Parts: sequence; C-alpha cells; structure tokens
Amino acid sequence: MRLLTHNMLSSNIKGVTDGFPLKIEAGKVVEKEVDMNTDFLKNIFTKIEWKPFVEAAKTLGYSELPEDVDPSLLDSQDFLTKFHHALLEIHLEEGALVCPETGRKFPVSKGIPNMLLHEDEV
Amino acid sequence: MFQVMIFGHIESLRVSHLIRWALHLPPFISICKFNPIKYNTMKNIRTGRPSVFSTAASDGETKNQPSEVTNEEGLSFNCVQYTPEIEKTYVHQVYDAIAPHFSSTRFARWPKVASFLDSLTQGSLVLDAGCGNGKYLGFNPKCFFVGCDISSPLVSICAERGHEALVADAVNLPYRSGLGDAAISIAVLHHLSTESRRRKAIEELVRVVKKGGLVLITVWAVEQEDPGLLSKWIPLSRRYLDEWIGPGSPRVNSPRSFNLKSIPESEENNSQVSLKVSSEFLGAKLDETMKINSQENDTSTTYIDNRCKENQEYFVPWHLPYHRAEVSGSSACAVANGLAWKDDKKGAVVYNRYYHVFSEGELER
Repeated sequence: MRLLTHNMLSSNIKGVTDGFPLKIEAGKVVEKEVDMNTDFLKNIFTKIEWKPFVEAAKTLGYSELPEDVDPSLLDSQDFLTKFHHALLEIHLEEGALVCPETGRKFPVSKGIPNMLLHEDEV
Repeated sequence: MFQVMIFGHIESLRVSHLIRWALHLPPFISICKFNPIKYNTMKNIRTGRPSVFSTAASDGETKNQPSEVTNEEGLSFNCVQYTPEIEKTYVHQVYDAIAPHFSSTRFARWPKVASFLDSLTQGSLVLDAGCGNGKYLGFNPKCFFVGCDISSPLVSICAERGHEALVADAVNLPYRSGLGDAAISIAVLHHLSTESRRRKAIEELVRVVKKGGLVLITVWAVEQEDPGLLSKWIPLSRRYLDEWIGPGSPRVNSPRSFNLKSIPESEENNSQVSLKVSSEFLGAKLDETMKINSQENDTSTTYIDNRCKENQEYFVPWHLPYHRAEVSGSSACAVANGLAWKDDKKGAVVYNRYYHVFSEGELER
C-alpha cells in the first residue's frame, strides 16, 4: 500500500463520521522505484491532505517532506522528487490501518489493505 | 453484449452530470442529464416498479428498502450495503475459487473501455471499482490507477503485477469523496443482486470522483444480437430461490418472473463456448458486431425483448478444467458442498455465477 492510497482511504464503518486519516501500524515497509509522472504529481497535489501525508510518511520512516506546502513548490524538482518518493515509492507491506473513531483495525498483508467490513459494521 | 454508460460532467458550477448512453445499436445513442439528487428521489418510489424487477433479487430489496432509508437503529444486515447470500455464494465464493483460471482468460481489453481510458487527461487518477485481475490498471501509463475488488485472490493477482489495489466492496468504497478524475466499473454491476445495491454502487462511483470527473460503467445487457446467447445461460429457478431464501421465507415474486425450465445436458456442454464468446470475442469485436447488428431485422430484438420481460436473473456457468491446479483444493470442497459440480464430458468443474442482465434503458433509470 502506497501513501497515496493511505491518503485516499477513509474508514466507512457505519456511524463513523470522520474516518480519515486512518492511523498506521507499520510492520514491514519496502521501497520500490517507479518512474516519476510530473503531471500526476501536480494533479494529485491539490487532493492530498498534507498533514496526514507527512505524518504517515514519518510513521513509515521518511521525514524529508516539508510540514507546510503551497502550489509554488511544484516548480521545485527537489520537492517533486521527495513528493514522488513518499507518495508512490514507499509501501506499507505488512501492518494495519486503524479507524480513528472506533479503533477497528484493517489489516495490510502483502501490501494489500483489506477494507472489507464485517456484517455488523455496514 | 455490454451496455456502456459514461457519466460526464457539463458544468461544474451546476453540479449536473451528462450521461452519454451508448447502447450496442450504433444509431441509438442518446444524451440525457443526470442529477445525483434524482437517485435519492427515485429510491423512495421504487415500490412502483414494473414486474421486471420482481425477481429473487427484488425480494431482498423489498425487505431492505425501509431500513435503507431509516437504518439508524435497524439491523445492519437489512442495509443496502449488507451482502446478500446469493452474491456471497454465487459471486464472491466463485470468483475466489476460480481466480487464477479466470485471470488467465482475462487479458483482452474492451475497445470502448480502452478508448475511454486513452482519452483521459494526462496525470489523471483513475479508480477502478471491481478491478478483477487488474487488466485495466495501468492501461494508460500517463495516468495512475488504484483498483479494488471484493475478491482477495483477484486483488493478490493485481498486487503481484505491481498494481495498487485493495480489497473493498463496490457498494461501500472506502475512499474520501471527490478524489478521482475518473472511475470505472467494468462488468461489475450485473453481479449485484438488488436494484438498490446497483444504485448504491453507481452513487459510490459518482461520489468518489471530483466535480467534472468521469464515470464509465459497463454491464451485461439482456438485449443480445445473438438471441441464442442468453438461452445458454441458466435462468434462476425456484429451486435456487428456495436454496437461498429457504422454504419458509416469504416470496413476493410473480411466477412468470421465473423460468422453470431445466437445463439440458447439451446446453450445459455448450455453455463454456458461449461464455468465452460472450466475454472475450464479443468484447474484442464490439464495434464490428454493432455494425452487423444494425443491419439485422427486428425479429431477434422482439424475441429478446419478450424474453427479457420474463427474466433478467441468470446463472452463467464457469468451467474450471480438471487440469487447473485449483481443482484439487478449493474446488473439491466446492463440489462437496454443492457450490460446483463435475462435468466429466467437458472435463471441468462447473461453477454458477450470478448475473443480473440489464434491459435497455435500465442503467438510465
């Protein structure tokens, strides 16, 4: 699971009003290099909730991201490189995502989050 | 044949959507407006629907309807997001069991889906809800794809291929709203057994895309240019209804909603061929068959229309050859517990998959 996905995911358990962001319990973290897609980075930048993104990156051991950002940073190659790396190259391979309201854990196994709800959660 | 529908966006300020509704008959392309609010309105008047929907699936829906509106304290399994047994048994369990074999047959891309994905703006985020083995993930390398599917074995195949994918339910997507530039639902909605669940899945697609985002939906259509195709599928019968709902459960379906015909051996033997043709070849030759169809007379259409009024709920068999590795494992259990059976003539374990085939105009409603 990439941090992009973590930034997208929200606990959708019945009754939960704000399921974002999910807390990360990190087990195994891996890095996999991928080509940079600047168009995608510029597009997704506006949709990323930045503070949770920075926190999540730190949880997975990466603390190079700036705490505060504005769109002008997208002109900086240095920023794009770090953004790209944190967003798409760091993977939570094993661990869990925890609902911020209920504490329910969604397991992440072999890089795959399982967000299926139990029958009493829908 | 698939029905294809694209939700597009006209003016972001007005929060109104445009449906380009492309049926398999080329001249029959109509455009109409789509307002998400209308869905909510329509939900509440569904009891007045025509009998086309009074099927096994609709039975569940009728029960579910009140709690969908006032589900604050109702039992959770009456909720639209609760997965009915028919889907658990005849969709989820089957795909979990046949995943590797299913995946090995899923590589051809539907031309309309491909052209849709090709047309997206560079750098788009594409959400694939019901991504299966991920054959569309990464299709346009200038976009980024995130897929989800309810079948964990299929999602594992996506992940092994390096795609970003997670296990989630298409009627309850675990995403923040308005994130995607586009969302796709390819051959997914026909596996949902009630109209409210199909609507909910569409609402979820619309919810997760941004204002001005695009949603592409394809489903199996009841109107086939080959009238023989549906005859090779298995209409849901009372026998199966009893199995799902139980003998003591109330039924509100009208008898003519169901075909009680038995399935001759010969049909069963042909069904593998028909399935392959329908799933891959028709898709690959979608444009061709459209042209052919437009030159045909109306006879076949009339025939199909009559048929579709009788039944839109089907089992579509999946033949898992004996030589496939999974036959020895999960399939042995499936045969033992009645989920699948052995067809020695075909040398295959046969699974039934539940399909709701859509009638013309149904996606628009």
